[in-house]
Amino acid sequence: MRIEGKVVRVFPSDTNTDEIIAGKYKYDELDLHKLARHTFESLDTHFYDDCKRLKDPILVAGANFGCGSSREQAPQVLKACGVSCVIADSFARIFYRNGFNIGLPLVECESISNNVTQDEMLNVDFDRGVIRSENRNAEYRFKPIPQFMQELLERGGLMQYLDARGGFTD
Amino acid sequence: MKTISEKILSKRSGVDAASGDIVTVPVDLVFAHDGTLPLAIQELGGHSVKFPESVVAFCDHASPSPSEKVSNVQTLMRQFAHAYGLDFYENGDGICHQIVLERYASPYKIIVGGDSHTCTHGALGAFATGMGSTDVASIMAYGKTWLKVPETVHVEVSGKLPKNVHSKDVFLELLSQITADGATYKALEFYGDTVDAMSVESRATLSNMAIEAGAKVGMCAADKKVEAYLAHYGRSNEFTPLYADKDAIYIQKVRIRAETIVPMIAKPHKVDNVVPVTELEGQEVDQVCIGSCTNGRIEDLRAAARILDGHRSKARLVIYPASRDVLLKALKEGILETLLKAGASIGPPGCGFCIGRTVALGDGEIALSTQNRNFKGRMGNDTSFIYLSSPSTAAASAIGGKITDPRGLER
Repeated sequence: MRIEGKVVRVFPSDTNTDEIIAGKYKYDELDLHKLARHTFESLDTHFYDDCKRLKDPILVAGANFGCGSSREQAPQVLKACGVSCVIADSFARIFYRNGFNIGLPLVECESISNNVTQDEMLNVDFDRGVIRSENRNAEYRFKPIPQFMQELLERGGLMQYLDARGGFTD
Repeated sequence: MKTISEKILSKRSGVDAASGDIVTVPVDLVFAHDGTLPLAIQELGGHSVKFPESVVAFCDHASPSPSEKVSNVQTLMRQFAHAYGLDFYENGDGICHQIVLERYASPYKIIVGGDSHTCTHGALGAFATGMGSTDVASIMAYGKTWLKVPETVHVEVSGKLPKNVHSKDVFLELLSQITADGATYKALEFYGDTVDAMSVESRATLSNMAIEAGAKVGMCAADKKVEAYLAHYGRSNEFTPLYADKDAIYIQKVRIRAETIVPMIAKPHKVDNVVPVTELEGQEVDQVCIGSCTNGRIEDLRAAARILDGHRSKARLVIYPASRDVLLKALKEGILETLLKAGASIGPPGCGFCIGRTVALGDGEIALSTQNRNFKGRMGNDTSFIYLSSPSTAAASAIGGKITDPRGLER
């Protein structure tokens, strides 16, 4: 699996789920596309529009991305914004699990937030575990994602994966 | 040589599991609330709920419903619960985690909640962890989930806590040491004679906050106090003792001396931005909030009432008991009268101020709250500031309308 896209933003460490999508919205709006317009509202009001202008935008972040609440609306709105994948120095646990469950590719790559900048063109090779910067001819390695998690992405998420296999085969 | 997590996951998966292993386990209790169940129902799609007796729904986050939209979302939940005969907790019953502590959690249970503070139930020896709506949907459809057995951080607290210093302060001290991702993917286990001396309610504050260090679960041993707590709620038959093995292997050990702990405050806008209260004394606050799944229990209201008795709060004071049971106890013990005379606005059991949906701050306002999170905008206003503390610190601060060290008080 490969993804190629421009870095739409580089967010700092400990960017939390309340920043991704404020808690006050989740009780009101089940339409994730409407909700997506409020993504990162408290930090960056142009985020949604900038994502929509790009093909396969890539979000880059520091450590502990997605910390805080378990709200699945967080990775969902990123996906609805059109984010093709999130590459972070590290992820918070629940966010990481949620991302794969809804088919949003997440890549953990140490120090990536120090190495790339906004608007850079990146090429992410999931099988080899390599991120390539097209602008600077530089490469960054990451630990390839376990097979069953790649399958979650290929199927589009956890429910689709379980349905295809008839449940948890253990 | 197992940790508490390894013991529970081995027993329930039927496999001799160690940290790092991936296991599949049945889920005894899966629950969600008005912020997470609607999305889970959407994700469930055409599947049926496999074990309706294990699924519970709560209206607690935007409760009572403040708008048509929320009411309609709650109607959806009510219809779903009715269709499957699920236990359903209405607006005013209380916060999901408080009710789960009172009525459902017990040693060795596997509990998954569509809420990050599900780790609270580790205080009763349950392997309890928060997940997202799709995981909740998959558990409703299939009755099981996969889990990676976590490594455990052993936290030992020994000695006697000073007057008006509480488990909340213990956790904030711990958090200042290990930081917001210090326990990511790991379990926390709480030990030491200080923890042994704590009530289950106090321990629940430690377990509740575990997620703020990134932890998967926050476990306490299931000892005689857990037995008594379950008995109080008519659930004696659910007790089994549960302790880690003496030779269990831990990835990290943290030791804290209780006598050295001071009242702590988490400053805006991160939970691990912790300082001793002495550094902030005199900081004015507009609104003091006492409640939440972290510190909304009867013990917390008692502590607040003891300090506020005979005083009138200068700051706006908002108090939300965590459950109907807590509110009834507060009524019986005369606590409500004390709080009302102190100027408190008493809310219906529920999350209230914590999530900023039914209670919001004004522009630039400063709140001091006993909740678990102070991220920017959490209490309904992106330009406001949230400080976190224990109930004693909050009550002491309400009196003068500024952050106050509760150790300096007579009571």
